[in-house]
Amino acid sequence: MNSMSRVAAAVLLTMGTAGVAAAQERTAIKQGFELPAKSGKKILVFRPKVSVGAQSTGGLFEPNAEWTDQARKNIDAALKKRQADLGNVVLMAPEAYGDQARLVEEYTNLFDAVSQAVVTYQFFVGNRLPTKKRDNKAGVFDWSLGEGVRNLPGAKDADYALFIYNKDAFGSTGRKLLQAVALLGPGIAVKSGEHKGAAGLVDLKTGDLLWLNADFAMGGNVREPDGAEKRVGQLLEEFPGSVAEKAAAKQ
Amino acid sequence: MKRALTAACGALALVSPAWAATTAKPAPPPPPYAGVYQPKGVDEIGLWQEADEQERALANSPLVIRDEALTAYVKNVLCAAVGADRCNATRIYILREPTFNATMVPNGTMRVYSGLLLRVRSEAELAAILGHEFGHFEKRHGLQDFKAGRTASDLLAWGQVLASMSTSYNVRRSFNDLQLSVYGSFFRFNRNQEREADLVGIGYLNASSLRPQAAARVWQNLVAEFQASAVSRGLKKPRFNAIAFTATHPPEEERAAYLGELAAPEGDARDEGAERYKGALAKWLPVFLDDQIKINDFGASEYLINRLAEDGWTAPLWQARGELFRARGAPRDLVHAADFYAKAVALEPDLAEAHRGLGLSLIKTGKASEGRAALERYLKLKPDASDAPMIGMTIGSVGGTQ
Amino acid sequence: MTMFGGRALMLGALCLAAMSAGAAHANAYREKGKVAEVADSAMTVTPPRDWNRLSAKPGKYAEVWTLDGEQLNDVTFYGGVEPGKPLVKERDKKRDPLPKFTASTLLIEVPELLEGTYRAEKQIGGFTLTGSKPAQFLGREGVNFTYEYTDQDDLPRKGEARAVLIDKKLYMVTFDAPRLHYFDKALPDFRALASTAKLSK
Repeated sequence: MNSMSRVAAAVLLTMGTAGVAAAQERTAIKQGFELPAKSGKKILVFRPKVSVGAQSTGGLFEPNAEWTDQARKNIDAALKKRQADLGNVVLMAPEAYGDQARLVEEYTNLFDAVSQAVVTYQFFVGNRLPTKKRDNKAGVFDWSLGEGVRNLPGAKDADYALFIYNKDAFGSTGRKLLQAVALLGPGIAVKSGEHKGAAGLVDLKTGDLLWLNADFAMGGNVREPDGAEKRVGQLLEEFPGSVAEKAAAKQ
Repeated sequence: MKRALTAACGALALVSPAWAATTAKPAPPPPPYAGVYQPKGVDEIGLWQEADEQERALANSPLVIRDEALTAYVKNVLCAAVGADRCNATRIYILREPTFNATMVPNGTMRVYSGLLLRVRSEAELAAILGHEFGHFEKRHGLQDFKAGRTASDLLAWGQVLASMSTSYNVRRSFNDLQLSVYGSFFRFNRNQEREADLVGIGYLNASSLRPQAAARVWQNLVAEFQASAVSRGLKKPRFNAIAFTATHPPEEERAAYLGELAAPEGDARDEGAERYKGALAKWLPVFLDDQIKINDFGASEYLINRLAEDGWTAPLWQARGELFRARGAPRDLVHAADFYAKAVALEPDLAEAHRGLGLSLIKTGKASEGRAALERYLKLKPDASDAPMIGMTIGSVGGTQ
Repeated sequence: MTMFGGRALMLGALCLAAMSAGAAHANAYREKGKVAEVADSAMTVTPPRDWNRLSAKPGKYAEVWTLDGEQLNDVTFYGGVEPGKPLVKERDKKRDPLPKFTASTLLIEVPELLEGTYRAEKQIGGFTLTGSKPAQFLGREGVNFTYEYTDQDDLPRKGEARAVLIDKKLYMVTFDAPRLHYFDKALPDFRALASTAKLSK
C-alpha cells in the first residue's frame, strides 16, 4: 500500500509533526527470538526495493538512475559485509518466473501491508491499537506472513528471509531554500528530503516476523559506500545477533 | 536496465509551434526506422529505470489479464499501426480495469485497460488509440512533461510559502511511490502534445492497412458517453476537468475536424477490421461490459450498450441492459428490466442468468408467481449456481397465490 | 487520455472517508465479554475476545473493527442502512454516486449491492461473488455470502459476510482480509463475533 496511507496521513495531521518525531518507535523484535552471531544460519534476501532520487522544491520525486544503481550496489555490498561479520550467510533470492514470480510479488505486497500496520498501529504510540498496548507493555511482538512462505523460491535452502524497502528523496537545492524561507517566514515546517526504509526478518518455517525495523527518517547518504553502510547499519539496527556481538566484544 | 527503442529524435519536424486550425493536407507517413535509441540525461535515464522497476511489479500483478491470444491480437493491431520495427520495442499488458485508458511509459511498456477494449469497435479504432499513445512515446512527451511538471510544482510551492496561505502543511501525496507501480507514472499531457500525438498517430494509420478515418469517431463517441453520463446524474455538463483526457485535449468538434483532415483520403476505402475485432473480443466483451455496469455510471453504461446494439441486439446485450436497470432498481426501472430480460430469454432460452434476472425483477414488481417460475427455470438450467440455495429461499419466501 | 485517474487509495474494506483532521480520537478498545453497540444502531455484539474499533468511520451507518490493522483484517458493521442510502459515504454524491440500498432490494441481491459498492468505490474490475446461502443473522433468516477481490494495493483478498433485512433496513457485517494467511487466521474469530450479534430493540 502507499507508504503514506490515508489513515497514517490523518494520524500525522492530528498529532502534529513534532509529536510524531518524539512518539515513533523504530524497531521491534519477536519475544524470545535470538540469532546468535556466527550461527551459520542462511538468510534469503528478496530483491530489495531501492529507489533513490531527488525531491524537487514542490515535493515531486525525481528518480535518478545513477544514484539508484549506486545505492543498490552499495546496499548489497554493505549487507553482505554486515552479515559476513556475523557469520551468517546471505543468499540473494533466485530469479523467479511465472507463478513463482507472482508468489514473490504477493508476499512482498503482504510484507508491505504488514509493515504498514506495524508502523501505523504499533510504532506510532498515540495511535496504538488497544489490544496491542498490552502486548507492547509485555514486550510482545506478534506479526506473521504465515506458513505459506515455505513455498517461496529458495525457501527450502534457507532459514530466514529478509525483505528490504528503501526510498530516498534528497532535498534539491530549491527544496532546501524553501525550507529555510519557510522557517524564517510563516513558520511552516517543510521537510527537505525523505529517507524511508524498512527491513524485516521472516522465519521461513513459520512466516513469523522475527524482527522489523521501519523508519521514515533515516540517515546516511546511500549514494556513497560509507553512507550506504551507515544506512544498512540503521536498517539493520538491533538486528538479532548484532547486539550479542557487541556484548561479546565487551567481555 | 536500458531498452532498445526505435528512433524518433526530432525526425518528425512537422509540428509547428503555431498550430493552425486549418491543415488541409493529410498527416505524413512516419520517418524510416533509424535504429536503436538510448535514453540520455539524468532525468530520462531515471525515468526509464523507474519504468523498468514498475514493469517488474506489473508483470506479476493479479490485475493483468493473462490471455495470450488477446494480448497477441492487441500487439498485432499495434504492429499494423506503427510497423513491426517500432512495435517490437513495445511490451503490452492488458489490465482488468473498467476505465478508458491506455498509457505508455518511457521504456516501452504499454498498458491497455479493459475499459478501452470495451469501447473501441474495430481494429482501426484500436489502432488509432494505440498509435496516439505511441506518438507520445515517440516524441518523448513523458520526459518533457516531467520536466515541465517539476517547474510548475516548484512555483506552486514557493507561492504557498510566500503568500503564507495556511498554517498547516498538507501531507504530500506521492504519485511515484513504488506501490503504485502497477499503474505507471503520472503523466498529464498538454494540448499541443496531444495534437502532436494525434499527428503522429494518424501518420501511422495513413501508412498502414487500416482506415484512418476511424480515429475521429473514437473521440466523438467518448465525449457522447461523458455527456450521457452527466445527463443521467443530473449534471449540466460533464466533469471535463476531472477527466484528464478531456481537460487537456482539444475540444471534440475541433478534434474530429482536424483528425478528419489529417486522414489520408485514399485510406477511406480500407478495411476497419470490425468483424475481426468482434471475433477477437467475443470471449471478453460480456465480462468487460459487466465490469462497466457494476461501477454505477448509468448513463455511460446505457450509452455503451445501445451503441454495441447498433449491430443488432443479442441476448447478452439484453441481459446486460436488464442488469443495468435492475441495479438502479427504481420501480419503473424494474419494469423495464423485466422486459429486457424477457427479450434476452426469447432470443436465447438457455441463457440462465437472464431467467434469474427476470425472476427477481418480476418478484420486485409484484408478479410473484411468474417470478418464481423464472427462478425455477434458472435453477433447472444451472443447478450448481453459487447462489442456488438463496434462489431456493427466495422462491420459498415469495410463496402463496398472486 | 494518459492519466491514470487520481483516485484516492483505499484501505481495508472501504474508504475511511469521514476523518476529521482536528478530532484526535484514539482507536477504541472493545473488551471481551462486554456488550458493545455498533454503527450507532440497534445492533450489538458481545465480543468473545478483545477487539479494536477504529476511530475513522466509512460512513454514517458503518464502523470498522480490527485485530491487526484494517489492511490485514477488517470487520465492518453496517447498522440499519436506510432505503435510498449508499453503504458508505460517497466522495461526491452527484459525480461519484454509489449504488443505493432500496426498499425493494431483495435479500438475495445484497451481495450484488456490496459488489457494486466495492467496484465503484475502488474503481476495480476484479471482484467475484463466490457463493451465498440462507443463514440466521440477528435472529432472523438472512444471507451468508463469500467473495474475492484485488484491492488498490494489489493484494488479493477474500471476504465473508452476513446480512439481513429488518423493517426495511439493512444490517450487515463483513470480513475482508488478504488471502495469504490473514483470511484463514481470523475467520474463526469473525464467525464467533458475528454469531453474537443481536438487535437490542
